[in-house]
Amino acid sequence: MPEITYRQAIQDAMVEEMRRDENVFLIGEDIGSYGGAFGVSAGMLTEFGPERIRETPISELAIVGAAAGAAMVGMRPIAELMFMDFVLLAMEPLMNQAAKARYMFGGKATVPMVLRLPSGSGTGAAAQHSQSLESMLMGIPGIKVVAPSTAYDAKGLLLSAIRDHNPVCFVEHKLLYKSKGEVPEGEYTIPLGVADIKHPGEEITVVTSGIMVQKSLAVAQKLSQEGVSVEVLDLRTLRPMDNQAIINSVKKTGRLLVVHEAVQTGGWAGEVMAVVSASEAFDYLDAPMRRLAGKDIPIPYNRFLEAAAVPQEADIEAEIRAIIANKY
Amino acid sequence: MPTPFIMPKMDMDQEVVTIIAWLKNEGDRIEKGEPVVEVETDKITSEIEAPESGILTNILYHENEEAPVTKVVAYILKEGETIQDLPGSDGVEKNSAIPEAASATGKSPTAKPAVSATPLAEKVLAELNIPAEQIPATGAKLTRKDVESYLEKMRDQVVPRVQVAATPAARSLAAERGLNLENVVGSGPRDRVQASDVLKLSMQKSAAPSFASPKPAATSVPMIGKRKQIAERLTSSYQNVPHIFLNVEVDMSRSEAARKRINEVATRHSQPAVSMTAYLVRMVAWALKRHPHLNAVLQENSIQLLPDVNIGVATALDDGLIVPVIHNADLLPMQELNERLRYLTSQARSSALTATEVSGGTFTISNMGMFGIKSFTAIINPPQSAILAVGALVRRPVVIDGQDTVAVRPMLELTVGADHRVVDGAGVASFLVDLVNALETPELLLY
Amino acid sequence: MTAWKKVEFDNFETTNVLEKSVSLGLSQEQLIEMYRTMVKIRLFEEMADKQYALGKVHGTMHLSAGQEAVAVGTGFATRRGDYLLNHHRGHGHFIASGADLNKMMAEFLGKDTGYCRGRGGSMHIADVTANNLGANGIVGGGLQLAAGVGLAIQMKKRDQLVLTIFGDGATNEGIFHESLNMAAIWNLPILYLCENNQYGMSANVAVVSAKTPFKHRAAAYDIPGYYIDGNDVLAVYEYIINAAEHIRSGKGPVFIEAQTYRYFGHSKSDRNLYRTKEEIDYWKSVEDPILRFQKLLLTADLIDETMIAKIKKEMSEEIDKSVTFAENSPEPDVKDVMEWVYA
Repeated sequence: MPEITYRQAIQDAMVEEMRRDENVFLIGEDIGSYGGAFGVSAGMLTEFGPERIRETPISELAIVGAAAGAAMVGMRPIAELMFMDFVLLAMEPLMNQAAKARYMFGGKATVPMVLRLPSGSGTGAAAQHSQSLESMLMGIPGIKVVAPSTAYDAKGLLLSAIRDHNPVCFVEHKLLYKSKGEVPEGEYTIPLGVADIKHPGEEITVVTSGIMVQKSLAVAQKLSQEGVSVEVLDLRTLRPMDNQAIINSVKKTGRLLVVHEAVQTGGWAGEVMAVVSASEAFDYLDAPMRRLAGKDIPIPYNRFLEAAAVPQEADIEAEIRAIIANKY
Repeated sequence: MPTPFIMPKMDMDQEVVTIIAWLKNEGDRIEKGEPVVEVETDKITSEIEAPESGILTNILYHENEEAPVTKVVAYILKEGETIQDLPGSDGVEKNSAIPEAASATGKSPTAKPAVSATPLAEKVLAELNIPAEQIPATGAKLTRKDVESYLEKMRDQVVPRVQVAATPAARSLAAERGLNLENVVGSGPRDRVQASDVLKLSMQKSAAPSFASPKPAATSVPMIGKRKQIAERLTSSYQNVPHIFLNVEVDMSRSEAARKRINEVATRHSQPAVSMTAYLVRMVAWALKRHPHLNAVLQENSIQLLPDVNIGVATALDDGLIVPVIHNADLLPMQELNERLRYLTSQARSSALTATEVSGGTFTISNMGMFGIKSFTAIINPPQSAILAVGALVRRPVVIDGQDTVAVRPMLELTVGADHRVVDGAGVASFLVDLVNALETPELLLY
Repeated sequence: MTAWKKVEFDNFETTNVLEKSVSLGLSQEQLIEMYRTMVKIRLFEEMADKQYALGKVHGTMHLSAGQEAVAVGTGFATRRGDYLLNHHRGHGHFIASGADLNKMMAEFLGKDTGYCRGRGGSMHIADVTANNLGANGIVGGGLQLAAGVGLAIQMKKRDQLVLTIFGDGATNEGIFHESLNMAAIWNLPILYLCENNQYGMSANVAVVSAKTPFKHRAAAYDIPGYYIDGNDVLAVYEYIINAAEHIRSGKGPVFIEAQTYRYFGHSKSDRNLYRTKEEIDYWKSVEDPILRFQKLLLTADLIDETMIAKIKKEMSEEIDKSVTFAENSPEPDVKDVMEWVYA
């Protein structure tokens, strides 16, 4: 099977769908001849032209607002914001218009738009260009939030997101763009709201998403050589969350660790723990539920401080060992 | 019709306004749109305009009173109307007295005098974020010691409801295996019991069962209701009635053949088959008619030989024994008796027996045959004087009367328990003889 | 205190309805119909106010009494197929575009038979199937959606336009500028209608806006802009229909500011402390759009007092019926509260 990058997988999904459905178009800044800030739309202008690769002024509010308006009248826009941090400029159309139109109008409107958001830290871009804001977006009824961790997942999930009839925030961790993975040729989709066990295990469930999946997998593989069996559950979709998969896994292992880059306080690990605590999986817990998350600080510039701001492999490994050894 | 002057609602969560002043009086002419009354809400003073032109009348709320919004506060008479046209007392909006709403300004809580505390105490309180007023002081000033002893007291009051620290998994495992968590040594932090600790103990126990660890507590079934009733009655019977027991065995081949033939007829007429119990009841009733001392009740100074033969059939239910009674069992034709017994049994099973259906019994039959019991003795059901215990129908080899041959016959053991104060052994014996005869020669009933 | 002054309008005041109607291609029946609709809107708003005062409306409402000419002039000049994005004071526009009064009143009362099944209320009334994309509770909320709708129309090469109506307050929101800029660079088929009723909530437009009339702001984005008397219904009609033609022929967006005045407070908790009774009375008498049009129609002998009374009575009855309908309608089933979050 061919191996392609996460970045390429995302482009392939958009290109294939734009060929199939003329209502799909890409709107965002510098997506034309520049090929997008992270090169995701390189070459698409040549194939689809400036109408469908619609480059905009620096107007995040209007980009997301226009995407919502166009979606309401039959188009399927994919809006690309340069950094997830900039979604804050566009929270109003996302939260007040796109998320609520269907409900407010008694079920008579649909807003089938996708909002792509490069997220995360590790590139030295510092506080205003490195955030992971999934926790904030997850709290909005009416939108869906997806965060693929592999090239394979990215393509399948993006196709589903474009075809979904609701506003979908598609979160792409910047450090994943160059990661490679096997992606089959031909069309396939991955349903939204379904988690994936990336590494089966018996002694502890690690619930995670995005780049933390890669880190957790590296730790799981290392620990398996010592005979410690770690299950890594990649949520893939954060809203709606695959609660049943989490519950089933915790019932099996009896231990839970949630790992995410988003800031700890108010972070979605709390949501996972609440779900487990309120479910039958509670009876199977043999250790307190734990979480590893981004520290409650803006992302620093210095590379070591930046690394210290979010969970790393060593942190994940230490935490898993401690939980299994009943240190808590 | 006079126009009702309704106090408009002006705010989302408004319920009342306070009338500041009526700008027009009763009897004044007012014009539509003219300000008529000045009101105040917790935010602001406003003027309310007249909704129609006419004569203002019947003002219901006056200055400094609170008026409810969306309700009538006055009326406006049009040309030619008088106060007689106002809706009658049953028509006028009954504006019930509005309880004094807690005003928004409210009474400010009387400020407590500031608590005097030592600087050290204040520092500790600030760190812990506890207001000084909460802590009782031992002296003129609140000291750090006061704070510390308060905290200690607070800690002592926190008694964990559950005494053993254990993980949920450990708890469910222990419950499942019937193990007491208090006996499990916890290997987790703070001596917490982990699932593996429970597993360890469980395996130890199954490997070498020891009684050192306490057995699970006995299950307790409360002695109430039917159970209690049965207990009381039978205790009294057992203790106070001198029972004698006589036992015979009956060759049921002829009765069984007869019953079979009867049932062929019954089937042909689409009637239910006669059960062995119903058949026995019929036979017993016939025999009892001939032996009234077994159908009697002992009273203080006399034995009442009862005219009716009401046979109770003991029926076992989940919560105890119940004895439905077939009244006048001697007078009922077999078919009717059978149906009556079927009816009573089904009523018993659905706990639907009426008082009449369980009372008035003069004799009881208890059949344990269906359990395979060969024979048994039953305790007399007071105030009756006798009871018949029926065993299982067993096919076994017997010596044929008058011949020295052996044949396999369906044999039934019957045991009568009787009150020796009412009847002697001979009396019971002759009853039994008749009963056996009837069962072995059913044609006797025609005689 | 107000700081308004009468600035030169771009339009000529309508003085002769017969002449004007001929030049606009309007029949006499259509003029009467416009008058009827204005009366309908006024009476409807007054009834909505009454319902609120009786405590039957949960929440608040924003009434457009006084702004009927803008609503009717626009509603009659645009096509049913055009998209409409409205502001929160939009009952008049909705009625002028042909809304069912029953469903509107039911929505105010939160009933299941309302336009939004009771989920939206007065501020979010929409009829998506009729291309009415809703009133918006966010000031300027429609401006961003308009950019998207215009984009869609253009990409689909259709003959529609998107009419986005907003108030004077919205011109100071960031989205106003992003939207106009985007519409201008892409030549989007958007008709920007600024309904200037001279007050935001309590702030007078002149005090909070740099550079008025707002057509100058449109000019900054190279968009043709006009400043007209919004209480002259035929003037509104004229400018809207010309703008629509401009847009439909692919010449790009147009901006129109129509000056008018609102009689009721901003919302139901407004006590009108920021303007004087004299000012309100002036607009209610001298500048009232219905009275002005009525006078012209009387002069032209197109209606008489009997007809005026008849129209008022008929409209009242229609509105009373809508109240009865709404009152007799069922509340939505609470069990359905989670419906329609996702498609």
